[in-house]
Amino acid sequence: MIQVRFYSLLRLMLKQEQLDLPAREGETVGELLQRLQQQIKIPFLHKLLNEQGVLHAGTIIMVNRRNILHLEELATPVKDGDQLGFFPPGAGG
Amino acid sequence: MTDERYLRQLLCWGATNQQRLADAAVLVAGLGGLGATVSQLLARAGVGTLYLVDDGKLDPPDLNRQLLYSEVDLGKPKLETAATKLCRINSTLRIVTLPGRIVPGFQIPSEVTVVADCLDNYASRFALETCLSPGTFLVHGGIEGDQGQVLTLKKGTSRPFVEIFSGSLQPPGPIGVTGAGATVLAGLMVNELYSVLFGEPKLLDRCLVVGLGDLHVSFLEV
Repeated sequence: MIQVRFYSLLRLMLKQEQLDLPAREGETVGELLQRLQQQIKIPFLHKLLNEQGVLHAGTIIMVNRRNILHLEELATPVKDGDQLGFFPPGAGG
Repeated sequence: MTDERYLRQLLCWGATNQQRLADAAVLVAGLGGLGATVSQLLARAGVGTLYLVDDGKLDPPDLNRQLLYSEVDLGKPKLETAATKLCRINSTLRIVTLPGRIVPGFQIPSEVTVVADCLDNYASRFALETCLSPGTFLVHGGIEGDQGQVLTLKKGTSRPFVEIFSGSLQPPGPIGVTGAGATVLAGLMVNELYSVLFGEPKLLDRCLVVGLGDLHVSFLEV
């Protein structure tokens, strides 16, 4: 299974903190996002991607504690046992 | 007066940890919603040396949450105002103001072992990290509306802040923050600062994510 955790405003918006999905051979973060959106009926992809499907700023996406912007972005592969986190951090101080 | 002054907290953490606070030098970067309270609590607790950094002046919208200041301080530089007030709160401390803005190359005194990131934007936070010496602890706090986070990193061994927070968004214009929210997050930061100074950080490479709207906490390993 792949463990997906939502934090902060995403958790509130989606009304859930964690979702476990079965892994699929050769799947990427981008593909997993599409599968997540199919499973979660509340639209949320617009919070992460622009109309061209490109990541936009606002939410940190972690795969096994690594920000995907420092991996292969949406092409980062995910496999069984991986942990994903979606976290829009607070900016103020 | 010292033992009497700190009596109530000595009952919590003992004389050895109190001495650790007295021996410590902490830099508070940013003296706004988080930093005004963080610096005040550190001063009240007896942290020996406080270095302060802020290049702003007090504006009316600051008064809802920046507990060090009052109406008579409007228009005054926060740095000097905070230093004056902190000296009044605890005259036994060494309080040092560092003028200027946090930019790459900003000189952090070598005796500082812990930095409290109370800044209000990611550009400054990324710059702050570049100024830290290896081994220095960074206790980061951030808040936006009902949501906030606290995270401790150790320069040189933790994943860099700039890497963890890549892709974060700095919203245009003022960010919504309440007095209660800022105070809760500042309190959590100070609690972690004590833990770091006592040698037992609780949030090292582990981000505490706080939802004040529904009183929810969770952890994100980084």
